[in-house]
Amino acid sequence: MDIDDLLQELDDNKVLGGTRDINDLTQSWIAERTAPEILPFQTALLERLMERIRQQIELVETQTGNLDPKTNFCLILLQTELERVKFLVRGYLRARIHKIDKYSIYILTTPSIRGRLSPPELSYLKSHLGLLNSHFLASFLRRFPEQLRRLDDKAGGISMVEEPDLDGAVFCKVVRDIEDNIARIPGTDSEFKLTKGDVYVVRYSAVREFVLRGEIELI
Amino acid sequence: MYGDLGLKLVQHAKRTQSLPQLPPYQSDIVRSVTREVRDLDRDVTEILEPFNGHFDPAEEPATACSLLVHHLCMRRNKRCLLAYHRVRVEAIEEMCWSGSDLLEQVQASQNKVAEGGAGIGSAEGSGASSLSPEEEEYARQYGDLLAAYKGQWTDIDLTGSLEPPRDLFIDVRVLKDAGEIQTEYGAITLTKNSQFFVRQGDVERLIAQGFLQKLN
Repeated sequence: MDIDDLLQELDDNKVLGGTRDINDLTQSWIAERTAPEILPFQTALLERLMERIRQQIELVETQTGNLDPKTNFCLILLQTELERVKFLVRGYLRARIHKIDKYSIYILTTPSIRGRLSPPELSYLKSHLGLLNSHFLASFLRRFPEQLRRLDDKAGGISMVEEPDLDGAVFCKVVRDIEDNIARIPGTDSEFKLTKGDVYVVRYSAVREFVLRGEIELI
Repeated sequence: MYGDLGLKLVQHAKRTQSLPQLPPYQSDIVRSVTREVRDLDRDVTEILEPFNGHFDPAEEPATACSLLVHHLCMRRNKRCLLAYHRVRVEAIEEMCWSGSDLLEQVQASQNKVAEGGAGIGSAEGSGASSLSPEEEEYARQYGDLLAAYKGQWTDIDLTGSLEPPRDLFIDVRVLKDAGEIQTEYGAITLTKNSQFFVRQGDVERLIAQGFLQKLN
């Protein structure tokens, strides 16, 4: 055990619940923005954060009007923090919506991916697809012959359904000791060992399982 | 020639991507491409008719080849049409997200055409909107959908700025009269060319709509 481990231990114990949530949110936001596919929705984390955002807003509202310079200063800090957390949540949700729009049919037709959406996201996805479909139908597809009206055609060698490119490169960092620590790059013979603290640029498909288990973080 | 019009649509779509505003909907080309597809489909039916459903490609390679070309043309036209509409739909969604009022823009372009067309005659006045009726309908419905989804996150303001917030308070200059706004420090009257030091959250929407300009 060296000094780094000691510091690490200190960090792990000292981080309060609230701070950890913010860290988790930042991490989820970064991961969502860098991963090619949509990741599971952080339901519990978001609920805790939204609850605290509400509490803070209430606190700010009750304290406004207090002319004491000290509370005024505190309020400014509180509001700045609020704006920052809101920005993170907004960025997180928008990144997800972007992917939902882009890969809508793929997400809807792949049950394992579909389960990663929150209920409001799922209903957004469905209504959006419905809207698109009826828009295309109204604009030109209704005058088409019957067999050419589908939007998820696979004939002619080109699939109309856009899928995320899981072979896209990502930057990632190993954050935990992993037992089965050999990552294989699909489609090639190469494999590499994952040691805690390592940073890699690698195809997303090679580390996908580890990322979903939380053993590797995208950075 | 087959496919020419489809290519034109794709070129329009490509051009649309780099334009700040949506150019007028090419309803003529869309209609012609659709007609081309229907003609092709009728040809296919005619070619297949004498075979009574027992067509064997190996026996009639020439007919099979012609059928294949017909089918590929139809699919290509469909892809062109979809690409063109998709690009426009994305632009419309972008506008919904950024909060700019679509109907306002449509009206503005209508006014422009009305002014410009006054001297020439009212021939152009009718087709002034750059959106097709279907697109206007879509914009309205998507706006509703977005509002519904945003309703789940009332505290966050999903359409807010995607720039990380640096300061709580910012300097803004008023570009257009925006009337009076309520803030927690009282009401502010925003008159043109005046300058204020306000909370970013209070004026974000007005900046997006072009009433205020942020100063660094």
